[in-house]
Amino acid sequence: MSQFLSNYRDFLKQATKSDKYHGFDVRALVRVEPMLSFLFHDWWRVEFNGLEKLPKEGPALIVGNSGSFLPWPATMLLYALMSSRVNPRRLHIVADMDWIKDERLFASFLELGFVPFSSANMKRLFAKGELVAIFPEGAAGLARPFSARERLIEFDWVKLLPAVEEGVPIFPIATLGCDEAIPVLTNLDAIAKMLNLPSFPITPFFPWLPFPFNLASLPTKWNMSILKPLSYEKAEDRDLIEETSMKQSQFAEGEIQAELNRLLRQRWRAK
Amino acid sequence: MREVKDLTWKSLEKLKDPVKAFSNRCPLYYERYAGKEDEFGYSLETFAKWEPLFRFLYEEYFQVEIRGIENIPGEGRAILVGNHSGLLPLDGAMISMAMCNLHQNPRRIRYLSTDWFFHLPGLSNWVKETGQVRATKDNAQKLLAVEELVGIYPEGIRGVGKPFAERYRVLDFHPGFVQLAIATQSPLIPVATVGGDEIFPEFVNLHKVARFLQMPFFPVTLGFPWLPAPLMFMPLPVRWMINIHKPINLGYPAEKANDRKLVMKLTREVQYQIQRDLNKLLRERRSTLTGWDEAELDGELPKP
Repeated sequence: MSQFLSNYRDFLKQATKSDKYHGFDVRALVRVEPMLSFLFHDWWRVEFNGLEKLPKEGPALIVGNSGSFLPWPATMLLYALMSSRVNPRRLHIVADMDWIKDERLFASFLELGFVPFSSANMKRLFAKGELVAIFPEGAAGLARPFSARERLIEFDWVKLLPAVEEGVPIFPIATLGCDEAIPVLTNLDAIAKMLNLPSFPITPFFPWLPFPFNLASLPTKWNMSILKPLSYEKAEDRDLIEETSMKQSQFAEGEIQAELNRLLRQRWRAK
Repeated sequence: MREVKDLTWKSLEKLKDPVKAFSNRCPLYYERYAGKEDEFGYSLETFAKWEPLFRFLYEEYFQVEIRGIENIPGEGRAILVGNHSGLLPLDGAMISMAMCNLHQNPRRIRYLSTDWFFHLPGLSNWVKETGQVRATKDNAQKLLAVEELVGIYPEGIRGVGKPFAERYRVLDFHPGFVQLAIATQSPLIPVATVGGDEIFPEFVNLHKVARFLQMPFFPVTLGFPWLPAPLMFMPLPVRWMINIHKPINLGYPAEKANDRKLVMKLTREVQYQIQRDLNKLLRERRSTLTGWDEAELDGELPKP
Protein backbone atom coordinates (compact mmCIF):
# COMPACT_ATOMS: atom_id res chain seq x y z
CA MET A 1 0.00 0.00 0.00
CA SER A 2 2.71 2.47 0.94
CA GLN A 3 4.58 1.64 -2.23
CA PHE A 4 1.39 2.32 -4.14
CA LEU A 5 0.90 5.62 -2.30
CA SER A 6 4.29 6.92 -3.34
CA ASN A 7 4.13 5.59 -6.89
CA TYR A 8 0.66 6.86 -7.64
CA ARG A 9 0.63 10.09 -5.62
CA ASP A 10 -0.78 12.27 -8.40
CA PHE A 11 -3.33 9.67 -9.39
CA LEU A 12 -4.56 9.29 -5.83
CA LYS A 13 -4.92 13.03 -5.43
CA GLN A 14 -7.16 13.02 -8.45
CA ALA A 15 -8.99 9.81 -7.59
CA THR A 16 -9.97 10.85 -4.07
CA LYS A 17 -11.82 13.82 -5.47
CA SER A 18 -13.55 11.78 -8.14
CA ASP A 19 -17.04 10.37 -8.28
CA LYS A 20 -17.61 7.26 -6.12
CA TYR A 21 -21.33 6.91 -6.51
CA HIS A 22 -21.14 3.42 -7.99
CA GLY A 23 -18.73 2.07 -5.42
CA PHE A 24 -15.26 2.73 -6.80
CA ASP A 25 -12.64 1.61 -4.33
CA VAL A 26 -8.95 2.47 -4.64
CA ARG A 27 -8.04 -0.59 -2.61
CA ALA A 28 -9.33 -2.79 -5.41
CA LEU A 29 -6.95 -1.06 -7.77
CA VAL A 30 -4.10 -1.51 -5.28
CA ARG A 31 -4.83 -5.22 -5.28
CA VAL A 32 -4.83 -5.68 -9.05
CA GLU A 33 -2.12 -3.11 -9.82
CA PRO A 34 0.75 -5.66 -9.89
CA MET A 35 -1.13 -7.80 -12.36
CA LEU A 36 -2.08 -4.85 -14.56
CA SER A 37 1.48 -3.63 -14.48
CA PHE A 38 2.79 -7.05 -15.47
CA LEU A 39 0.30 -7.31 -18.34
CA PHE A 40 0.95 -3.77 -19.53
CA HIS A 41 4.73 -3.73 -19.40
CA ASP A 42 5.84 -7.33 -19.68
CA TRP A 43 3.16 -9.49 -21.19
CA TRP A 44 1.70 -7.28 -23.91
CA ARG A 45 4.41 -4.57 -23.95
CA VAL A 46 1.78 -1.95 -24.70
CA GLU A 47 3.01 0.96 -26.76
CA PHE A 48 0.80 3.85 -25.82
CA ASN A 49 0.56 7.00 -27.92
CA GLY A 50 -1.36 10.21 -27.67
CA LEU A 51 -2.03 10.33 -23.95
CA GLU A 52 -1.14 14.02 -23.97
CA LYS A 53 -4.14 14.71 -26.20
CA LEU A 54 -6.56 14.09 -23.36
CA PRO A 55 -7.57 17.14 -21.32
CA LYS A 56 -6.15 17.38 -17.80
CA GLU A 57 -9.41 18.67 -16.41
CA GLY A 58 -13.04 18.43 -17.34
CA PRO A 59 -15.24 15.85 -19.00
CA ALA A 60 -14.20 13.78 -22.00
CA LEU A 61 -15.32 10.59 -23.66
CA ILE A 62 -12.98 7.92 -25.02
CA VAL A 63 -14.42 5.59 -27.66
CA GLY A 64 -12.57 2.44 -28.53
CA ASN A 65 -12.63 -1.01 -30.06
CA SER A 66 -13.07 -3.83 -27.60
CA GLY A 67 -10.78 -6.81 -27.73
CA SER A 68 -11.93 -10.37 -27.94
CA PHE A 69 -13.15 -12.46 -25.04
CA LEU A 70 -12.32 -10.23 -22.07
CA PRO A 71 -12.43 -6.41 -21.81
CA TRP A 72 -8.66 -6.13 -21.56
CA PRO A 73 -8.29 -2.95 -23.67
CA ALA A 74 -10.47 -1.13 -21.14
CA THR A 75 -8.30 -2.22 -18.24
CA MET A 76 -5.09 -1.43 -20.10
CA LEU A 77 -6.41 2.06 -20.79
CA LEU A 78 -7.30 2.34 -17.12
CA TYR A 79 -3.78 1.35 -16.15
CA ALA A 80 -2.15 3.66 -18.70
CA LEU A 81 -4.13 6.59 -17.36
CA MET A 82 -3.45 5.84 -13.73
CA SER A 83 0.28 5.26 -14.16
CA SER A 84 0.83 8.22 -16.45
CA ARG A 85 3.32 10.80 -15.20
CA VAL A 86 1.97 13.56 -17.43
CA ASN A 87 -1.73 13.22 -17.08
CA PRO A 88 -2.88 10.79 -14.36
CA ARG A 89 -6.64 10.50 -14.36
CA ARG A 90 -9.27 8.17 -13.09
CA LEU A 91 -11.26 6.39 -15.77
CA HIS A 92 -14.91 5.42 -15.64
CA ILE A 93 -15.58 2.53 -17.99
CA VAL A 94 -19.20 2.51 -19.07
CA ALA A 95 -20.46 -0.88 -20.23
CA ASP A 96 -23.57 -3.03 -20.46
CA MET A 97 -23.36 -5.09 -17.29
CA ASP A 98 -26.91 -6.32 -16.90
CA TRP A 99 -25.95 -9.83 -17.87
CA ILE A 100 -23.60 -10.23 -14.88
CA LYS A 101 -25.86 -11.98 -12.41
CA ASP A 102 -23.22 -12.77 -9.82
CA GLU A 103 -23.24 -9.94 -7.30
CA ARG A 104 -19.66 -10.41 -6.13
CA LEU A 105 -18.37 -10.24 -9.68
CA PHE A 106 -20.58 -7.23 -10.39
CA ALA A 107 -19.33 -5.44 -7.28
CA SER A 108 -15.70 -6.13 -8.07
CA PHE A 109 -16.15 -4.62 -11.52
CA LEU A 110 -17.72 -1.53 -9.95
CA GLU A 111 -14.83 -1.26 -7.51
CA LEU A 112 -12.38 -1.09 -10.39
CA GLY A 113 -14.28 1.77 -11.97
CA PHE A 114 -16.81 0.15 -14.26
CA VAL A 115 -20.20 1.86 -14.48
CA PRO A 116 -23.40 0.32 -15.86
CA PHE A 117 -24.44 2.00 -19.10
CA SER A 118 -27.30 4.42 -18.89
CA SER A 119 -27.81 7.88 -20.25
CA ALA A 120 -28.41 9.28 -16.77
CA ASN A 121 -25.19 7.73 -15.42
CA MET A 122 -23.11 9.12 -18.24
CA LYS A 123 -24.60 12.58 -18.00
CA ARG A 124 -23.98 12.67 -14.26
CA LEU A 125 -20.35 11.73 -14.81
CA PHE A 126 -19.95 14.42 -17.47
CA ALA A 127 -21.55 17.00 -15.18
CA LYS A 128 -18.94 16.12 -12.56
CA GLY A 129 -16.16 16.56 -15.11
CA GLU A 130 -15.09 12.92 -15.24
CA LEU A 131 -13.25 10.97 -17.90
CA VAL A 132 -15.44 8.23 -19.37
CA ALA A 133 -14.54 5.39 -21.73
CA ILE A 134 -17.02 3.42 -23.77
CA PHE A 135 -16.67 0.47 -26.14
CA PRO A 136 -19.70 0.69 -28.41
CA GLU A 137 -19.23 -2.62 -30.16
CA GLY A 138 -20.64 -4.15 -27.00
CA ALA A 139 -20.69 -7.85 -26.29
CA ALA A 140 -20.51 -8.65 -30.02
CA GLY A 141 -16.96 -7.31 -29.98
CA LEU A 142 -15.98 -9.81 -27.32
CA ALA A 143 -17.01 -12.72 -29.53
CA ARG A 144 -15.35 -11.42 -32.68
CA PRO A 145 -13.98 -14.45 -34.55
CA PHE A 146 -10.27 -14.64 -35.22
CA SER A 147 -10.83 -14.48 -38.98
CA ALA A 148 -12.41 -11.04 -38.53
CA ARG A 149 -9.71 -9.77 -36.18
CA GLU A 150 -9.04 -6.03 -36.24
CA ARG A 151 -12.25 -5.48 -38.18
CA LEU A 152 -14.73 -3.38 -36.31
CA ILE A 153 -18.32 -4.34 -35.74
CA GLU A 154 -20.72 -1.46 -36.30
CA PHE A 155 -20.80 0.98 -33.42
CA ASP A 156 -24.01 1.48 -31.52
CA TRP A 157 -24.58 5.19 -32.01
CA VAL A 158 -26.99 5.42 -29.09
CA LYS A 159 -24.03 5.01 -26.77
CA LEU A 160 -22.57 8.28 -27.97
CA LEU A 161 -25.83 10.14 -27.53
CA PRO A 162 -25.28 11.39 -23.95
CA ALA A 163 -21.89 12.80 -24.88
CA VAL A 164 -23.23 14.54 -27.97
CA GLU A 165 -26.10 16.00 -25.97
CA GLU A 166 -23.67 17.50 -23.48
CA GLY A 167 -21.17 18.60 -26.11
CA VAL A 168 -18.33 16.63 -24.52
CA PRO A 169 -15.14 16.11 -26.58
CA ILE A 170 -14.91 12.57 -28.00
CA PHE A 171 -11.52 10.87 -28.42
CA PRO A 172 -11.28 7.67 -30.48
CA ILE A 173 -8.71 5.14 -29.32
CA ALA A 174 -7.41 2.32 -31.51
CA THR A 175 -6.06 -0.83 -29.87
CA LEU A 176 -4.06 -3.22 -32.01
CA GLY A 177 -3.17 -6.68 -30.78
CA CYS A 178 -6.06 -7.31 -28.44
CA ASP A 179 -7.86 -9.54 -30.93
CA GLU A 180 -4.84 -11.73 -31.42
CA ALA A 181 -4.12 -12.06 -27.71
CA ILE A 182 -7.09 -14.40 -27.27
CA PRO A 183 -8.10 -15.96 -30.60
CA VAL A 184 -11.82 -16.67 -30.59
CA LEU A 185 -12.37 -19.78 -32.67
CA THR A 186 -16.14 -19.80 -32.66
CA ASN A 187 -19.12 -18.56 -30.74
CA LEU A 188 -21.73 -21.00 -29.45
CA ASP A 189 -24.99 -19.12 -29.46
CA ALA A 190 -27.12 -22.00 -28.18
CA ILE A 191 -25.02 -22.40 -25.02
CA ALA A 192 -24.91 -18.64 -24.55
CA LYS A 193 -28.71 -18.53 -24.62
CA MET A 194 -28.93 -21.41 -22.18
CA LEU A 195 -26.60 -19.73 -19.69
CA ASN A 196 -28.08 -16.25 -20.23
CA LEU A 197 -24.77 -14.87 -21.40
CA PRO A 198 -24.36 -12.41 -24.27
CA SER A 199 -21.99 -14.79 -26.04
CA PHE A 200 -20.09 -17.99 -25.40
CA PRO A 201 -16.78 -17.82 -27.27
CA ILE A 202 -14.54 -20.84 -27.63
CA THR A 203 -10.83 -20.06 -27.45
CA PRO A 204 -7.80 -22.35 -27.32
CA PHE A 205 -7.99 -21.93 -23.54
CA PHE A 206 -11.52 -21.16 -22.65
CA PRO A 207 -13.74 -23.91 -21.62
CA TRP A 208 -10.95 -26.50 -21.72
CA LEU A 209 -8.43 -25.56 -19.06
CA PRO A 210 -9.01 -25.35 -15.29
CA PHE A 211 -10.10 -21.99 -13.95
CA PRO A 212 -7.36 -19.42 -13.90
CA PHE A 213 -5.77 -20.84 -17.02
CA ASN A 214 -8.89 -20.66 -19.16
CA LEU A 215 -8.65 -16.88 -19.01
CA ALA A 216 -5.08 -16.98 -20.30
CA SER A 217 -3.93 -14.99 -23.30
CA LEU A 218 -1.04 -14.94 -25.72
CA PRO A 219 1.80 -12.41 -25.33
CA THR A 220 1.10 -10.37 -28.46
CA LYS A 221 2.51 -6.91 -28.94
CA TRP A 222 -0.06 -4.18 -28.37
CA ASN A 223 -0.30 -0.70 -29.79
CA MET A 224 -2.76 1.76 -28.37
CA SER A 225 -3.12 5.21 -29.77
CA ILE A 226 -5.48 7.99 -28.86
CA LEU A 227 -6.52 9.94 -31.95
CA LYS A 228 -7.44 13.55 -32.28
CA PRO A 229 -10.90 14.49 -30.98
CA LEU A 230 -13.90 14.50 -33.28
CA SER A 231 -15.03 17.96 -34.24
CA TYR A 232 -18.77 18.49 -34.01
CA GLU A 233 -21.06 21.26 -32.92
CA LYS A 234 -23.29 20.97 -29.93
CA ALA A 235 -26.89 20.93 -31.12
CA GLU A 236 -30.12 21.77 -29.31
CA ASP A 237 -32.68 20.23 -31.63
CA ARG A 238 -33.45 16.57 -30.85
CA ASP A 239 -33.34 15.37 -34.46
CA LEU A 240 -30.11 17.18 -35.02
CA ILE A 241 -28.59 15.65 -31.89
CA GLU A 242 -29.47 12.15 -33.06
CA GLU A 243 -28.14 12.80 -36.52
CA THR A 244 -24.89 14.19 -35.11
CA SER A 245 -24.52 11.21 -32.82
CA MET A 246 -25.05 8.77 -35.67
CA LYS A 247 -22.61 10.59 -37.89
CA GLN A 248 -19.97 10.93 -35.18
CA SER A 249 -20.17 7.29 -34.17
CA GLN A 250 -19.68 6.29 -37.80
CA PHE A 251 -16.79 8.70 -38.13
CA ALA A 252 -15.19 7.45 -34.92
CA GLU A 253 -15.52 3.88 -36.15
CA GLY A 254 -13.89 4.85 -39.43
CA GLU A 255 -11.06 6.68 -37.67
CA ILE A 256 -10.32 3.69 -35.46
CA GLN A 257 -10.46 1.24 -38.36
CA ALA A 258 -8.19 3.43 -40.48
CA GLU A 259 -5.70 3.73 -37.62
CA LEU A 260 -5.75 -0.05 -37.13
CA ASN A 261 -5.08 -0.49 -40.85
CA ARG A 262 -2.17 1.93 -40.64
CA LEU A 263 -0.71 0.24 -37.57
CA LEU A 264 -1.06 -3.20 -39.18
CA ARG A 265 0.72 -1.99 -42.31
CA GLN A 266 3.52 -0.54 -40.22
CA ARG A 267 3.85 -3.81 -38.37
CA TRP A 268 4.05 -5.87 -41.56
CA ARG A 269 6.39 -3.47 -43.30
CA ALA A 270 8.73 -3.35 -40.31
CA LYS A 271 9.37 -7.08 -40.50
CA MET B 1 -24.67 -23.98 -67.70
CA ARG B 2 -26.93 -22.01 -69.98
CA GLU B 3 -23.98 -21.27 -72.21
CA VAL B 4 -23.19 -24.91 -72.83
CA LYS B 5 -26.74 -25.60 -74.02
CA ASP B 6 -26.58 -22.75 -76.51
CA LEU B 7 -23.22 -23.79 -77.88
CA THR B 8 -23.93 -24.70 -81.51
CA TRP B 9 -22.30 -23.87 -84.81
CA LYS B 10 -24.67 -20.97 -85.10
CA SER B 11 -23.56 -19.52 -81.78
CA LEU B 12 -19.95 -19.77 -82.88
CA GLU B 13 -20.72 -17.48 -85.78
CA LYS B 14 -20.95 -14.69 -83.24
CA LEU B 15 -17.18 -14.77 -83.06
CA LYS B 16 -16.94 -13.74 -86.70
CA ASP B 17 -18.75 -10.48 -86.16
CA PRO B 18 -18.56 -9.54 -82.50
CA VAL B 19 -19.90 -6.05 -83.08
CA LYS B 20 -23.10 -7.33 -84.67
CA ALA B 21 -23.56 -9.91 -81.92
CA PHE B 22 -23.02 -7.20 -79.34
CA SER B 23 -25.49 -4.85 -81.00
CA ASN B 24 -28.09 -7.63 -80.93
CA ARG B 25 -27.58 -8.34 -77.28
CA CYS B 26 -27.13 -4.80 -75.93
CA PRO B 27 -29.03 -2.62 -78.43
CA LEU B 28 -29.43 0.29 -76.04
CA TYR B 29 -25.75 0.45 -75.27
CA TYR B 30 -24.86 0.06 -78.92
CA GLU B 31 -27.18 2.81 -80.11
CA ARG B 32 -25.91 5.13 -77.44
CA TYR B 33 -22.28 4.99 -78.47
CA ALA B 34 -22.26 3.73 -82.09
CA GLY B 35 -20.61 6.03 -84.56
CA LYS B 36 -19.77 8.70 -81.99
CA GLU B 37 -16.37 10.34 -82.02
CA ASP B 38 -14.58 10.21 -78.70
CA GLU B 39 -11.83 12.56 -77.67
CA PHE B 40 -10.09 9.96 -75.51
CA GLY B 41 -10.08 7.15 -78.03
CA TYR B 42 -12.99 4.98 -76.94
CA SER B 43 -13.78 2.37 -79.55
CA LEU B 44 -17.00 0.39 -79.53
CA GLU B 45 -15.44 -2.31 -81.73
CA THR B 46 -12.73 -3.13 -79.20
CA PHE B 47 -15.24 -3.06 -76.38
CA ALA B 48 -17.58 -5.41 -78.26
CA LYS B 49 -14.69 -7.75 -79.01
CA TRP B 50 -13.60 -8.04 -75.39
CA GLU B 51 -16.97 -7.84 -73.72
CA PRO B 52 -17.75 -11.60 -73.97
CA LEU B 53 -14.59 -12.47 -72.04
CA PHE B 54 -15.34 -10.10 -69.20
CA ARG B 55 -19.00 -11.09 -69.24
CA PHE B 56 -17.90 -14.69 -68.84
CA LEU B 57 -15.82 -13.66 -65.83
CA TYR B 58 -18.75 -11.67 -64.45
CA GLU B 59 -21.49 -14.23 -64.92
CA GLU B 60 -19.83 -17.61 -64.74
CA TYR B 61 -16.42 -17.37 -63.17
CA PHE B 62 -16.78 -14.85 -60.36
CA GLN B 63 -20.59 -15.03 -60.30
CA VAL B 64 -20.74 -11.42 -59.24
CA GLU B 65 -23.67 -10.37 -57.14
CA ILE B 66 -24.49 -6.73 -57.42
CA ARG B 67 -26.61 -4.64 -55.13
CA GLY B 68 -27.95 -1.20 -55.81
CA ILE B 69 -27.15 -0.85 -59.51
CA GLU B 70 -30.22 1.38 -59.78
CA ASN B 71 -28.37 3.96 -57.68
CA ILE B 72 -26.29 4.86 -60.72
CA PRO B 73 -28.15 7.43 -62.79
CA GLY B 74 -28.84 6.62 -66.44
CA GLU B 75 -28.10 10.13 -67.53
CA GLY B 76 -25.93 12.93 -66.29
CA ARG B 77 -22.56 13.26 -64.64
CA ALA B 78 -21.55 11.24 -61.61
CA ILE B 79 -18.37 9.99 -59.97
CA LEU B 80 -17.98 6.38 -58.86
CA VAL B 81 -15.59 5.93 -55.94
CA GLY B 82 -14.45 2.52 -54.81
CA ASN B 83 -11.90 0.38 -53.05
CA HIS B 84 -9.30 -0.88 -55.47
CA SER B 85 -8.28 -4.50 -55.53
CA GLY B 86 -6.73 -7.39 -57.24
CA LEU B 87 -3.36 -6.88 -59.05
CA LEU B 88 -5.12 -6.90 -62.42
CA PRO B 89 -7.75 -4.25 -61.77
CA LEU B 90 -10.74 -6.39 -62.71
CA ASP B 91 -13.02 -4.64 -60.24
CA GLY B 92 -13.57 -1.75 -62.60
CA ALA B 93 -14.29 -4.09 -65.49
CA MET B 94 -16.88 -5.95 -63.46
CA ILE B 95 -18.80 -2.76 -62.70
CA SER B 96 -18.60 -1.83 -66.39
CA MET B 97 -20.11 -5.20 -67.25
CA ALA B 98 -22.96 -4.64 -64.82
CA MET B 99 -23.57 -1.18 -66.26
CA CYS B 100 -23.59 -2.60 -69.79
CA ASN B 101 -25.77 -5.66 -69.19
CA LEU B 102 -27.92 -5.08 -66.13
CA HIS B 103 -28.69 -1.38 -66.03
CA GLN B 104 -31.89 0.06 -67.46
CA ASN B 105 -30.01 2.77 -69.30
CA PRO B 106 -26.73 1.04 -70.09
CA ARG B 107 -23.78 3.38 -70.19
CA ARG B 108 -20.03 3.25 -70.14
CA ILE B 109 -17.81 4.14 -67.20
CA ARG B 110 -14.69 6.19 -67.85
CA TYR B 111 -12.06 5.13 -65.35
CA LEU B 112 -9.22 7.45 -64.57
CA SER B 113 -6.18 5.23 -64.64
CA THR B 114 -2.55 5.53 -63.86
CA ASP B 115 0.06 6.74 -66.35
CA TRP B 116 1.86 3.43 -66.28
CA PHE B 117 -0.69 1.72 -68.55
CA PHE B 118 -0.27 4.44 -71.15
CA HIS B 119 3.48 3.86 -71.37
CA LEU B 120 3.13 0.21 -72.29
CA PRO B 121 3.42 -0.26 -76.05
CA GLY B 122 0.91 -3.08 -76.48
CA LEU B 123 -1.51 -2.16 -73.77
CA SER B 124 -1.89 1.58 -74.08
CA ASN B 125 -4.25 1.51 -77.06
CA TRP B 126 -6.33 -1.28 -75.64
CA VAL B 127 -6.71 0.58 -72.36
CA LYS B 128 -7.79 3.71 -74.19
CA GLU B 129 -10.18 1.91 -76.48
CA THR B 130 -12.01 0.16 -73.66
CA GLY B 131 -12.75 3.50 -72.07
CA GLN B 132 -9.96 4.32 -69.65
CA VAL B 133 -8.58 7.84 -69.50
CA ARG B 134 -5.27 9.07 -68.23
CA ALA B 135 -5.81 10.42 -64.73
CA THR B 136 -5.41 14.17 -64.84
CA LYS B 137 -7.58 16.90 -63.45
CA ASP B 138 -8.23 18.35 -66.91
CA ASN B 139 -9.32 15.03 -68.37
CA ALA B 140 -11.70 14.40 -65.48
CA GLN B 141 -13.24 17.84 -65.80
CA LYS B 142 -13.65 17.43 -69.57
CA LEU B 143 -15.39 14.09 -69.08
CA LEU B 144 -17.77 15.44 -66.47
CA ALA B 145 -18.51 18.47 -68.64
CA VAL B 146 -19.91 16.14 -71.31
CA GLU B 147 -22.01 14.35 -68.67
CA GLU B 148 -19.99 11.13 -68.52
CA LEU B 149 -19.85 8.62 -65.69
CA VAL B 150 -16.34 8.82 -64.24
CA GLY B 151 -14.84 6.05 -62.13
CA ILE B 152 -12.10 6.87 -59.64
CA TYR B 153 -10.18 4.59 -57.32
CA PRO B 154 -8.66 7.07 -54.90
CA GLU B 155 -6.28 4.54 -53.39
CA GLY B 156 -4.43 4.61 -56.67
CA ILE B 157 -2.03 1.95 -57.82
CA ARG B 158 -0.99 1.22 -54.22
CA GLY B 159 -4.47 -0.13 -53.60
CA VAL B 160 -4.16 -2.69 -56.38
CA GLY B 161 -0.97 -4.18 -55.00
CA LYS B 162 -2.16 -4.88 -51.49
CA PRO B 163 -0.59 -8.02 -50.07
CA PHE B 164 -2.97 -10.82 -49.15
CA ALA B 165 -2.70 -10.09 -45.44
CA GLU B 166 -3.96 -6.56 -46.06
CA ARG B 167 -6.98 -7.57 -48.10
CA TYR B 168 -10.00 -5.31 -47.72
CA ARG B 169 -8.05 -2.86 -45.60
CA VAL B 170 -8.57 0.39 -47.40
CA LEU B 171 -5.58 2.70 -47.78
CA ASP B 172 -6.11 6.39 -47.06
CA PHE B 173 -7.97 7.97 -49.98
CA HIS B 174 -6.46 10.75 -52.04
CA PRO B 175 -8.75 13.78 -51.68
CA GLY B 176 -8.72 14.65 -55.40
CA PHE B 177 -12.08 13.04 -56.09
CA VAL B 178 -13.94 15.18 -53.56
CA GLN B 179 -12.28 18.30 -54.94
CA LEU B 180 -13.43 17.27 -58.39
CA ALA B 181 -16.96 16.53 -57.21
CA ILE B 182 -17.29 19.94 -55.55
CA ALA B 183 -15.71 21.83 -58.42
CA THR B 184 -17.93 20.20 -61.04
CA GLN B 185 -21.02 19.85 -58.84
CA SER B 186 -21.38 16.13 -59.50
CA PRO B 187 -22.71 13.46 -57.14
CA LEU B 188 -20.41 10.86 -55.58
CA ILE B 189 -21.40 7.20 -55.64
CA PRO B 190 -19.39 5.00 -53.24
CA VAL B 191 -18.90 1.40 -54.35
CA ALA B 192 -17.68 -1.41 -52.09
CA THR B 193 -16.26 -4.48 -53.84
CA VAL B 194 -15.62 -7.74 -52.03
CA GLY B 195 -13.82 -10.51 -53.86
CA GLY B 196 -11.23 -8.62 -55.84
CA ASP B 197 -8.54 -8.83 -53.21
CA GLU B 198 -8.63 -12.60 -53.13
CA ILE B 199 -8.47 -13.49 -56.83
CA PHE B 200 -4.67 -13.12 -56.87
CA PRO B 201 -3.28 -13.76 -53.39
CA GLU B 202 -0.09 -11.71 -53.33
CA PHE B 203 2.45 -13.22 -50.99
CA VAL B 204 5.32 -10.86 -51.47
CA ASN B 205 6.11 -7.79 -53.50
CA LEU B 206 9.60 -7.70 -54.94
CA HIS B 207 10.34 -3.97 -54.88
CA LYS B 208 13.75 -4.24 -56.45
CA VAL B 209 12.59 -6.29 -59.43
CA ALA B 210 9.66 -3.90 -59.83
CA ARG B 211 11.98 -0.91 -59.92
CA PHE B 212 14.26 -2.62 -62.41
CA LEU B 213 11.37 -3.43 -64.73
CA GLN B 214 9.73 -0.05 -64.09
CA MET B 215 6.55 -1.68 -62.89
CA PRO B 216 4.45 -0.28 -60.07
CA PHE B 217 4.96 -3.52 -58.15
CA PHE B 218 6.18 -7.03 -58.86
CA PRO B 219 3.95 -9.50 -57.03
CA VAL B 220 4.59 -13.14 -56.36
CA THR B 221 1.28 -14.98 -56.39
CA LEU B 222 0.15 -18.59 -56.66
CA GLY B 223 0.81 -18.50 -60.39
CA PHE B 224 2.43 -15.28 -61.35
CA PRO B 225 6.00 -15.58 -62.33
CA TRP B 226 5.97 -19.38 -62.23
CA LEU B 227 3.45 -20.65 -64.73
CA PRO B 228 3.55 -20.16 -68.53
CA ALA B 229 1.98 -17.07 -69.99
CA PRO B 230 -1.80 -17.28 -69.96
CA LEU B 231 -1.95 -19.46 -66.84
CA MET B 232 -0.06 -17.01 -64.68
CA PHE B 233 -2.94 -14.55 -65.01
CA MET B 234 -5.50 -17.13 -63.98
CA PRO B 235 -7.57 -15.75 -61.10
CA LEU B 236 -9.08 -17.87 -58.35
CA PRO B 237 -12.83 -18.44 -58.70
CA VAL B 238 -13.85 -16.24 -55.80
CA ARG B 239 -17.46 -15.12 -55.39
CA TRP B 240 -17.75 -11.34 -55.73
CA MET B 241 -20.12 -8.87 -54.25
CA ILE B 242 -20.38 -5.29 -55.45
CA ASN B 243 -22.45 -2.97 -53.33
CA ILE B 244 -23.29 0.38 -54.88
CA HIS B 245 -24.37 2.97 -52.36
CA LYS B 246 -26.83 5.80 -52.71
CA PRO B 247 -25.41 8.86 -54.49
CA ILE B 248 -24.09 11.60 -52.20
CA ASN B 249 -24.88 15.13 -53.30
CA LEU B 250 -22.29 17.18 -51.48
CA GLY B 251 -24.17 20.44 -51.96
CA TYR B 252 -21.24 22.79 -51.45
CA PRO B 253 -20.65 25.75 -53.78
CA ALA B 254 -17.86 25.27 -56.33
CA GLU B 255 -15.52 27.71 -54.52
CA LYS B 256 -15.34 25.31 -51.58
CA ALA B 257 -13.19 22.95 -53.68
CA ASN B 258 -10.11 24.68 -52.30
CA ASP B 259 -11.13 24.39 -48.67
CA ARG B 260 -8.56 21.76 -47.70
CA LYS B 261 -10.03 20.95 -44.32
CA LEU B 262 -13.53 20.40 -45.67
CA VAL B 263 -12.29 18.33 -48.60
CA MET B 264 -10.20 16.16 -46.29
CA LYS B 265 -13.13 15.58 -43.96
CA LEU B 266 -15.48 14.58 -46.80
CA THR B 267 -12.80 12.27 -48.21
CA ARG B 268 -12.48 10.51 -44.89
CA GLU B 269 -16.23 10.18 -44.57
CA VAL B 270 -16.51 8.43 -47.95
CA GLN B 271 -13.50 6.24 -47.13
CA TYR B 272 -14.96 5.19 -43.80
CA GLN B 273 -18.32 4.49 -45.39
CA ILE B 274 -16.72 2.09 -47.86
CA GLN B 275 -14.55 0.43 -45.20
CA ARG B 276 -17.56 -0.02 -42.93
CA ASP B 277 -19.51 -1.63 -45.72
CA LEU B 278 -16.59 -3.95 -46.54
CA ASN B 279 -16.44 -5.05 -42.91
CA LYS B 280 -20.17 -5.71 -42.94
CA LEU B 281 -20.11 -7.69 -46.18
CA LEU B 282 -17.15 -9.76 -44.95
CA ARG B 283 -19.01 -10.49 -41.73
CA GLU B 284 -22.04 -11.72 -43.66
CA ARG B 285 -20.05 -13.84 -46.07
CA ARG B 286 -20.22 -17.59 -45.63
CA SER B 287 -16.93 -18.41 -47.31
CA THR B 288 -14.62 -17.11 -49.99
CA LEU B 289 -15.60 -19.54 -52.71
CA THR B 290 -19.33 -19.87 -52.06
CA GLY B 291 -20.06 -16.28 -51.11
CA TRP B 292 -23.22 -15.13 -49.42
CA ASP B 293 -26.34 -16.96 -48.35
CA GLU B 294 -29.01 -16.69 -51.03
CA ALA B 295 -31.69 -16.36 -48.39
CA GLU B 296 -30.14 -13.20 -46.99
CA LEU B 297 -29.87 -11.63 -50.40
CA ASP B 298 -33.37 -12.41 -51.64
CA GLY B 299 -35.21 -9.41 -52.86
CA GLU B 300 -32.10 -7.28 -52.93
CA LEU B 301 -30.68 -8.63 -56.15
CA PRO B 302 -31.80 -7.02 -59.38
CA LYS B 303 -33.24 -9.49 -61.86
CA PRO B 304 -31.03 -9.60 -64.93
